[in-house]
Amino acid sequence: METPDLIGPASPLGYPAPYWFLALFKVLGFTCHAVPMNLAYAGLLLALLLRASGNEHARQWAGRLARQMPFIVAWAVNLGIVPLLFTQVAYYQVFYPAMILMAWPWLGIIPLLTLAYYGVYIYAAGFRLGGPGPTRFKQSAGWVSALLFLAIGFIFTSAFALMTNISAWPALWQQTSVAGAPLGIAHSLANPTLWPRWLLMLGLALTTTAAYVVVDTGWFAQKESGAYKQWTARFGLEVYSAGVVLFVVAGVAYVFGGWPAELRQLLFTNPVFMLAAISAGLPWLLILAQVRQGAITQGLAMATGLGQSGVLALNAISRQLAQNAELEKYLDVTGQPVQVDWSPMILFLVLFAAGLALVIWMVRKVLIAVRGPEP
Amino acid sequence: VGIWWTIGLASPLATETLIHTFVFGWAIEYVFFVLEVAAAFIFYYGWAKLEPKTHQTIGWIYAGAAWISLVLITAITAFMLNPGAWPQHRSFWIGFLNPQFAPQTLARTGGAFLLSSLYVYLHAAFKIRDAELRDLISKRAVQPGLLGVVLAAIGGAGWYVYLPESAQAALAAASVLNVLLALLVALAITLAAMLYCGPYRNPGWISPGFAILFFASGLAAVSVGEFLREAVRKPYVIYNVVLGNQVLAEEIPGLRRGGYLEGGVWTRAWVATHYPQVMSAGKIEEEKLLTLPAADQRKLGQVLFQYHCNDCHAADSGYSPVGHMIRGWPRARILSLVLTPEEVRFFMPPWAGTAAEAELLTEYLVSIAPAHPGGMYYGNGR
Repeated sequence: METPDLIGPASPLGYPAPYWFLALFKVLGFTCHAVPMNLAYAGLLLALLLRASGNEHARQWAGRLARQMPFIVAWAVNLGIVPLLFTQVAYYQVFYPAMILMAWPWLGIIPLLTLAYYGVYIYAAGFRLGGPGPTRFKQSAGWVSALLFLAIGFIFTSAFALMTNISAWPALWQQTSVAGAPLGIAHSLANPTLWPRWLLMLGLALTTTAAYVVVDTGWFAQKESGAYKQWTARFGLEVYSAGVVLFVVAGVAYVFGGWPAELRQLLFTNPVFMLAAISAGLPWLLILAQVRQGAITQGLAMATGLGQSGVLALNAISRQLAQNAELEKYLDVTGQPVQVDWSPMILFLVLFAAGLALVIWMVRKVLIAVRGPEP
Repeated sequence: VGIWWTIGLASPLATETLIHTFVFGWAIEYVFFVLEVAAAFIFYYGWAKLEPKTHQTIGWIYAGAAWISLVLITAITAFMLNPGAWPQHRSFWIGFLNPQFAPQTLARTGGAFLLSSLYVYLHAAFKIRDAELRDLISKRAVQPGLLGVVLAAIGGAGWYVYLPESAQAALAAASVLNVLLALLVALAITLAAMLYCGPYRNPGWISPGFAILFFASGLAAVSVGEFLREAVRKPYVIYNVVLGNQVLAEEIPGLRRGGYLEGGVWTRAWVATHYPQVMSAGKIEEEKLLTLPAADQRKLGQVLFQYHCNDCHAADSGYSPVGHMIRGWPRARILSLVLTPEEVRFFMPPWAGTAAEAELLTEYLVSIAPAHPGGMYYGNGR
């Protein structure tokens, strides 16, 4: 069976906006989602490990992150829908079939995420200020959540890997269907890109966690001791370095072990990939500078956070380019008919800007309440 | 969030149609979701930390954003029931401001007010020890609760008036919907009576047991209402646009000419893989289908069943199993059902295949239909 036969016809409605607009919001949404998602993914696990075996500062940091974790997970879930929405608009011809082929693992994300979210609340409740720390039950809830986040990450990686691995569809479908109707239990574990992609995301998540350690110390940990702040700078550098190592190792395995030659060619000819590969160097250098000067400053912490956002954005753009290149021989997502709905599009952009301004206003009010009025 | 997972799996064609029509409606909804999440956290954790006026403003931002997200999503679900003139014009605003939009927004707003009041009672019954304060809360939460019942009743009436004719007919014809509609009305009246007799006239009645019963009744009313709203759409997922079996209504004439198996990407691929002898130049030759051995015809009939019927019906056991519905039917009657299901039940989608494919599906249905139950006395001698 020729695999292009399994891709359905284009929607008669066409795209409601030019492809670049959909891709822009998909990438922007994913970048915004990646920050809290990475903290839930790697940060919670790290906090649990340090809480169990770390020194006083490590335990202090673990408590700080655990208390913030309910916010972080709420944002990760909420912002995750934006890229999912735009993926469905632009990639519907491959998104729905892939998700139907692995429907049960894909649907399994919802109960797993619900359990993980409750687990995070239970774990965080153990860190009430002045309290004795989490009980064994609350710690167990934290561990369950951390493992569930890893499992959810694996299912996501698997689903999106299957979305572009169209050549695997026929065999998976034939093996897991009744009279041609998919049972939804396909899982392409043999996909050579699957494990490296998952580890690559874990590496990236570690670097984001490290950058957040610095941002948290620089901006939100004024009441903590100087010794704690020095420790966090060193800790941030260690975690960032470990994340970069994992990112590079998994990245090499992903590109050289999983990608076909033509996709590798794209990697070496498109500067965005190169930039994405080396971009982690900037936040690493910024953290190193703060370790050297013996203190985390607000300016450098902000620069570290922005630098890491840039790393995530470049990786999201690279992933987008690679995704389109993987699909190219089956489907041209950029060449679909477009029927722009201008008025709702403009309304969305206006409300997007206004909503952002309102969120900034609310956060500013909180900062004033916490720190006192500006001079 | 979970709804994105379920709708894409349950009805990808309808989701694709909705998402291409209303992507900016959803994008706007997410702007308000972000506002909601930010405002909710700040409102909760900023208690006694923010200036009272700012704190209250943030509370209003939360409430406003939550209500606007209700309005936005209601417009889309209302569109599914009655898209108005959208099929002719295909414009965002014509679809968004559909005939069901205002009634459903009113009904949902009412439902939200009602459930909020009932939740206040639940919370007060369990958490507030001071009887005087609990009574005060009980009395004050009555007005939004009663307003909710009134809005839901007005919205519900509007919902009925602006239902397509087939949906009104489904409501009258399907016994399960008759029962549920009666249950919904009974629950709404009971809740209004409970609000008046309980918290309004006798605030002291708010005990944990009463509050649980109250809240459960509210949840039951909302669930029944939502089920009815979904059920009356049959046979469409989007009225007159997408049928429940993932076929666009406008595709049906073409599928009847060219074949359902040929028209579907996955069905064609299945036939090409398993029955290459019926393929010619990459296309299924309809006339060859009935030359296959009987077992293969049944197998292809099963493929047709899985794609054409299985969205709503199980085969021989499970949800709404066809096997039991056609128990003991002669072959000719089954074939007639396959060819004109919409004449047998107007809320069934029409047949979207060729005559040869109808024969294949009939072969399969005959094979899964049990015999007429034995031991039944019809007055024709013992």
